[in-house]
Amino acid sequence: MTNIQSLFSFEGKVIIITGAAGAIGSAAGHLFASLGANVVISDLNEQGAKKVAEEIEKESGKATLGIKTNATVESDLKALVDATLAKFGKISGLINNVGWGANTPIWGSDTDKMVQSYLLNTVGGYNLTKLCMPHLEKEPNASVVFSGSMVGVSPSPEFIEYSTAKAGLMNMVRSMAVVSGPKVRFNTVLIGSVDNGEATLKAGYTPQMLQALADMFVMKRRGAPIEVAYGMMFLMSDAAQWISGIDLRIDGGGSYKSKMPTNND
Amino acid sequence: MTFNQLFDLKGKVAIVTGGGNGIGKACCETLAQAGAAIAVSDLKLQDAEAVAAQINSAGGKAIAVECNVTKDEDLVRLAETTVSQQGGIHILVNNAGGGGGGRENPFKITVDDFAWVFKLNVFSAWRLSQLCVPHMKKDGYGSIINITSMSSVNKSPNMSAYAASKAAMNHMTCNLAHDFGPEVRINAVGPGATKTAALASVLTPQIEATMLAHTPIKRLGEASDISGAVLYFAAPISEWVSGQVIFVNGGGVQTLD
Repeated sequence: MTNIQSLFSFEGKVIIITGAAGAIGSAAGHLFASLGANVVISDLNEQGAKKVAEEIEKESGKATLGIKTNATVESDLKALVDATLAKFGKISGLINNVGWGANTPIWGSDTDKMVQSYLLNTVGGYNLTKLCMPHLEKEPNASVVFSGSMVGVSPSPEFIEYSTAKAGLMNMVRSMAVVSGPKVRFNTVLIGSVDNGEATLKAGYTPQMLQALADMFVMKRRGAPIEVAYGMMFLMSDAAQWISGIDLRIDGGGSYKSKMPTNND
Repeated sequence: MTFNQLFDLKGKVAIVTGGGNGIGKACCETLAQAGAAIAVSDLKLQDAEAVAAQINSAGGKAIAVECNVTKDEDLVRLAETTVSQQGGIHILVNNAGGGGGGRENPFKITVDDFAWVFKLNVFSAWRLSQLCVPHMKKDGYGSIINITSMSSVNKSPNMSAYAASKAAMNHMTCNLAHDFGPEVRINAVGPGATKTAALASVLTPQIEATMLAHTPIKRLGEASDISGAVLYFAAPISEWVSGQVIFVNGGGVQTLD
């Protein structure tokens, strides 16, 4: 009989998490460290990254690294990989979590906004993964998890830049998955509306919109950041050693009162 | 957060149909290790008893129940026995199933053959869920995991009844999520070719080589690969996840042709 406890141990693993000063990334950092991993907390917000890394280190007793990274700047990504290797000597897992999208009317975007969103939400993950691959390939059950979004699946005209970039990301990950086995596994978590505090309000949602949204879900609530982290943890664990190329939706069971009919509702 | 807190199923009761062998047996073992009391249900009582005995000797709490999932009275008895002997029902793994194996020549099988596959794979899962959900709602915790198949999305010859039944199971899962939520969640796990006795009956070295050629993780599945995914859906860590179908298939496609 397999010992299931050992399947979810991350002892001896080094995991890079981007966008990790935010709600979901930091929840993942806390979770992986509590299960034995050394986590690298990367974020554009340097102060936030260092604070989260310190909190995790204090809570878990596991060494961490907090580092500023602009995911759209290649030299920053290289510095992230170099700093990780200098401190921990290896990379066992990568969570490409960084991403953001503004609430933009469908005809309110332009070339620059579209390209910037693509660079942040799609290309950054590509570049960082490419840099990590030679190191991941050396580690047992190495795994990469991307944070996708439900806006990349269903029509989302109010997030035209972000939803387009996230849709591209999904197929990019599937392509990575089919050529990278058996050494490295690739999966995506498709995240529904998660209560990540300020960030959602900054993206243009009002509290009234959020309540209306919560009421539409099967689970009648928005998700907690840790619930997304749990899914990431499962996909990265030894329990998921035969899982690659999937999209795991963590979205409160979804909604059937969608604004637009889709095949997925 | 420790492992035990994340996957703690103490005080929860799980029914696993087809629990006597293969994937079902692995599900029984994994859920028992996480602390759940188990009702091991199988067409063959002896097989169910062997799994239950193994769990009990390891300090778990399991009962064996003989059940033909195509018989309504058996499903009713399974739910009633579980509630009376284990104290409730919180997790249901609809794993029993059959058909396919490239043996469904559309010109040779009959309407009855086709209907039987649906009865075995779809109607039974729906009916047992109907029987279990009220108990889950009463206790405020419920998670149903349907074991579907890669054949629900693959295209293969001589598999029309089985593949259609598993596709039906997928869509039934998505729809029932809306009926059973928010208290009860329902998800599906679709195994690729997994090393069980059922697969061994159709596997040849040539078929295995073809399967692995299209599988990024270069091996066939183990029953424990599937039960790991079942554990994720059974545990409270997936409380915001319902109506999902995931495939545990080494990243690839394994077909018999």
